[in-house]
Amino acid sequence: MSHASSPTREGVPAGREPFTRGFADADPADVDWLGGKGAGLARMTQQGLRVPPGYVIGTTACRSYLQANATPAGLPEEVFARLRVLERQTGKTFGGGPVPLLLSVRSGAPVSMPGMMDTILNLGLDRAAAVALAGATGDSRFVADLVARFHAMYSETVLGALDPADGIGSLVAAVDRTDDPGTVYDRIWAACEHALAEDTGDSVPADPREQLLGAIEAVFRSWNTRRARTYRDHHTIPHDLGTAVVVQSMVFGNLSADSGSGVVFTRNPVTGEPGLFGEYLAHSQGEDVVAGTRTPDPVAEALAPDVLRELRTTCAGLERAQGDVLDIEFTVERSALYFLQVRSAKRTPEAAVRIAADLTAEGEVPAATALRNVSPAQVRQVQRPGFDPGEVDGAREEGRLLTTGIGACPGQVGGILVLDSDRAVAEAGAGREVILARPVTSPADLHGMIAAQGIVTATGGSTSHAAVVARALGTSCVVGAAELRVDEAARTLTVGGRTMAEGDDVSLDGASGELFAGRFTTSTPAGATVALAALLGTAAAASGCEVLARVTLPSDVGAAREAGATGFVTAIDDVLAATGHLDGLVRSLLEDGGAAGLDRIADLVAQELAPVIEAAGDAEVGVRAIDLVADEARELLQQTAVTSRHPELSVPLGRPELIEAQLAGLSRALAGAGGRARVHLAVRHISDPAEAAALRALAGASDIGVGAYLTSPRAAFGAREIAAVSDLLWLEVRALQAAMFGIPARQLLTAEPLDGYLRRGLLSCDPRSTLDRSVRELLVTVAAARRPGYEVGMRLSGEVSQDAAAQLYGLGFRRFAVDAGETRPLVLALGKAALAG
Amino acid sequence: MTAPVLDKTDYAVLNVVALKKMATPQVVAAASGVDAASAEAVLAGLGDQGLVVVAGGAALPTDEAEPALAVAAASHYAGVRADAALLALVDRFETVNAQFLTTMSSWQQIDVGGRKVANDHSDSEYDGKVIARLDKLITRLGPLIEALAGHDARFTLYSGRFAAAVDGIDGGRHELVSSPTTDSVHNIWFEFHEDLLRTLGRDRVE
Repeated sequence: MSHASSPTREGVPAGREPFTRGFADADPADVDWLGGKGAGLARMTQQGLRVPPGYVIGTTACRSYLQANATPAGLPEEVFARLRVLERQTGKTFGGGPVPLLLSVRSGAPVSMPGMMDTILNLGLDRAAAVALAGATGDSRFVADLVARFHAMYSETVLGALDPADGIGSLVAAVDRTDDPGTVYDRIWAACEHALAEDTGDSVPADPREQLLGAIEAVFRSWNTRRARTYRDHHTIPHDLGTAVVVQSMVFGNLSADSGSGVVFTRNPVTGEPGLFGEYLAHSQGEDVVAGTRTPDPVAEALAPDVLRELRTTCAGLERAQGDVLDIEFTVERSALYFLQVRSAKRTPEAAVRIAADLTAEGEVPAATALRNVSPAQVRQVQRPGFDPGEVDGAREEGRLLTTGIGACPGQVGGILVLDSDRAVAEAGAGREVILARPVTSPADLHGMIAAQGIVTATGGSTSHAAVVARALGTSCVVGAAELRVDEAARTLTVGGRTMAEGDDVSLDGASGELFAGRFTTSTPAGATVALAALLGTAAAASGCEVLARVTLPSDVGAAREAGATGFVTAIDDVLAATGHLDGLVRSLLEDGGAAGLDRIADLVAQELAPVIEAAGDAEVGVRAIDLVADEARELLQQTAVTSRHPELSVPLGRPELIEAQLAGLSRALAGAGGRARVHLAVRHISDPAEAAALRALAGASDIGVGAYLTSPRAAFGAREIAAVSDLLWLEVRALQAAMFGIPARQLLTAEPLDGYLRRGLLSCDPRSTLDRSVRELLVTVAAARRPGYEVGMRLSGEVSQDAAAQLYGLGFRRFAVDAGETRPLVLALGKAALAG
Repeated sequence: MTAPVLDKTDYAVLNVVALKKMATPQVVAAASGVDAASAEAVLAGLGDQGLVVVAGGAALPTDEAEPALAVAAASHYAGVRADAALLALVDRFETVNAQFLTTMSSWQQIDVGGRKVANDHSDSEYDGKVIARLDKLITRLGPLIEALAGHDARFTLYSGRFAAAVDGIDGGRHELVSSPTTDSVHNIWFEFHEDLLRTLGRDRVE
């Protein structure tokens, strides 16, 4: 490989900075000049990868072009001088033989943006080159195809033709491999020119040098397309930045039997399994692999041993250096391995988790790097419960598999069968899980599709309306289950001689496309949890945070502990609602505060909290006291009725006896549960040290600790003083954000109205995902309430955002509580924040 | 039944209601070219004819709407149906439509080693390529929309709606690609396709 053979000054007059730099001698850090693509190729070249030689025309040339509206003086000379350099480097000839030099020309702005010119491939293919290439490859049809493709690309991207090369395809197909290449070239070129003349009246220059300058100029021009300008306006990218142009020599995978092309992943992107995963097709160009015209072979079997060894070594080195799984496009030209593109590999969520866990365990990559490529969203996907595999097998044996359609959006869900969208909304509104079955969907079904857990249609493919909408909604969906007959009059669904009535239980698998009669037990797949547990172990050790998970029933506790919860939080009103005591509770509250009502509450607390506390073992259990003014419990607790009769219940310590009753109940629950857990009671909305002190006094010598859930800016402001007289402190982050914005807290859990509001530019910060500046400042004050052995807890609600978790970690908080399903995502987010340091 | 054939304005409004299955006068106005005040009056008239019902401020088509539209389309668009140049463009649309649907899927799902995975939109270069492709496909509709507009000017509204959606996408509103609840490229395309089929008196294959 020849790095230093690229003289930068050839064709450049003394005293002027060159417009161009070779991949081997450009500074990859100079992205402003090289653009993103050029910088990437320079870096690959200088890492020692064999990259097809090429050069970059810097953004300065583009700026000059845009100012003068003309190609800068001296640029063509420099471009032609570069051509000679490339000819020397590659041993190929531009516009001639024995092996012709063909080029790709691409745009490469410092920031990628829409509207910029696409790639032009195979530039340099005049008649002489075409004849030479046919000789070198022994394939005139291949050359005919290249000529047609080049003409189409040039017409489209440089000359703005719309549908070039209509009908040329059949002409190319009619060419025999052994036809005379000169005649073939003339025929194809003339046909292409004829079609273009009909379309736009334009013509593609026959001289490849003229083509090259035309392509470069087209890249410059594309900087100012309407879409590019709109994009820059919206993203406040300066209009005078300009784009670079990447000109690169092309290599041929179809020159000989020891040539070929392929794509390889450094690990399996579906499962995450270590080892090269990819395909290679001997005697072929990259397009053949993509187009699927020939079936490629696994790299490990198809590559020559030397090349395979080189590929393995290089892949391992690159993976180590970048700390990530890579997707690598390569071509072998006469046994020489060329790297065309190296980028971070796309992967399934399962693979993302496994790969990060493996990379960490292998020890070659720092944990911070390995974890960078896993997101809380991927963790959510992996932990998503699926059908019990044993039950599914059983169902198949029992003939409960109704039909198999096309899996359109993955997910394993069950519910009652519903046959129209209005009913789906009604059933979902009544709290039932719904599977919506339709012959076909249209926009009229949208409300039903939103309400349903799963959707199945009889007609349509993986790109049908139902499929597109289901994926936009993230709803599990099976389409094209052609055997389904929906009878809307009889309210039945018939499939293969079986009839299901509306309301019957069904289950569907949006990946496999299967629809079953009946329901399945769902749980987090065991296979996924091994790698996930290892990964989260790393994250938890890095952050050293306590993460308490919200539980309501004793059965929630095991799953939360398995997810990595170090303790639990719960709420008395939630537990009583879930155990069917809500009416009793409300009745007691509506009474006149007499001892009988309070005793009943104490009894209920003792009875229903004991199982939760017992399940928690010796872990911490944080219990929130009954809250009558909670935004989310307005209807549940008949807030208006209760607080208009007993206004004192609207303030935290308005009726001390209610707190005493809960404390007494908890104390009995703890004793009943064996007394091993550490239990505390926290009261919401406390904002004054005097309230906190009164609460402490109420608790006296109880074995239940007491403290506060801070929800208001005032409380946050006085956190330190409140902490001084409380056994513990929680801060509800969402409540504080909502209070600072003056928006009801429940609006922070839904898409609207805030999506629309943010879109109109009326808020500079999305209170659902980012901590506002005002809140951060208050949180600095709250952080001052921490002291050795006394952590202030952050209570998060809804989906945890990586950014918000990192911000809280950065402010020094190390104690958190979340909804149980968010335990793993939070543990990961905190670990990433800690490792990113 | 010998109800009078819908006039062009009635047709334009009812057509939008039938395409959207539920539409406020504002939405009808934006997609039919009839101004908002008239749209309300036209909807009221259609209500009297039993072709729409207005509930909660939005119009829904009745079962009579589709047949009425079919009859009116046959009469209004006889010229379109006999326009050979236009029909040739329609044949091409089938290919573009297939490409569009595949592109829409590639926006939502990424192929990973042969398995489809939800696109998490973390790769702006990939997304950029899909958007560029959508933009190109929309451009390819241009000649067909123009040819249709030669018969009925209301078809140019599709060009405007597509342009607004693409502008929004370039401005970072990526939900305008496929969101079912906005005037997204997917929704506009879907409506255009349905509208085209009705105009031609053809049935949807898928």
